[in-house]
Amino acid sequence: MMKNQNLILFFLLLSFQLSAQKYFTRSGVTQFEASEKAFEPVEAMNNSTTVILDTANGSIVSQVFIAGFQFKNALMQEHFNENYMDTHQYPKATFKGNLINFSLENLNAVEGFELSGTLSVRGIEKSIETTVNVKEENNRIYVSGMFFVSPQDFKIKIPSIVRDKIANQIQIKIDYELIEKK
Amino acid sequence: MNLLKKNKVVFIVSAMLVFTVGVGYVYQYISMSPKDIVEITPEYVGDATEFNFLVTDNLSYWTGKVVQITGEVTELTEDGVVINGTIFCQFENGNDQQSIVENQQINIKGKLVGFDEILMEIKLNQCILP
Repeated sequence: MMKNQNLILFFLLLSFQLSAQKYFTRSGVTQFEASEKAFEPVEAMNNSTTVILDTANGSIVSQVFIAGFQFKNALMQEHFNENYMDTHQYPKATFKGNLINFSLENLNAVEGFELSGTLSVRGIEKSIETTVNVKEENNRIYVSGMFFVSPQDFKIKIPSIVRDKIANQIQIKIDYELIEKK
Repeated sequence: MNLLKKNKVVFIVSAMLVFTVGVGYVYQYISMSPKDIVEITPEYVGDATEFNFLVTDNLSYWTGKVVQITGEVTELTEDGVVINGTIFCQFENGNDQQSIVENQQINIKGKLVGFDEILMEIKLNQCILP
């Protein structure tokens, strides 16, 4: 009995400890741009990305809903969801990774952090290595950066009729403002 | 001869007119911007707890659908509210939430984008107070 109580206390303290080290957001901005010059811009923004950063070890997890990407053009948005991303089958994209050598203390002294991890889109994983900006201000952590992926990475088939209008290298921009998770 | 010539002109002019109007319509159709949440009739109107069950049952059906739910505000965040502890609603514009306080009953309309497995909550986007 006593042992059990100790165990419960231990886990309580552990969960408290863990939650005290986490920063998160529900409304991070993830954008992509796949425009080719001289054609209509192919771009969309998602301002409801969930991101959790564990400041104890720099591990970062994020999740974005494909249906949450907003285009300027309704038809493009419909095609994106139904023909390219199969949103009903694969409703989300996730990223799991690490900020290398992350430490909360000297955050503002370091220029950028190596971010390394796995991006999963349409059930297909791809490893991502990039450098991101991480700054701390007023107990908020700002993470921003960008990287490139290509449609083939995730087996996204692009019909030949629009192939010229969609860039082969798609730029993904991230901009997250994290607050302490209580 | 004169009549034939006149007919030809009328034919060409009307063909051009039809063509222009057609192109106009097609252009308007392909360049339409997505509908605002205000304009979309919600697929579900009612209690948030009941809606929660419906989504748990068939998430894929509700993904991308616009719904209008009523429930209690259990948490107020910078850009949204949590309803009944399980549904996060992110506002289209920040002004909407200045009138809201915690524990208040509200009626809110938005687009369901999915179930957030990190925070274990349903996520609604572009929310408005109808």
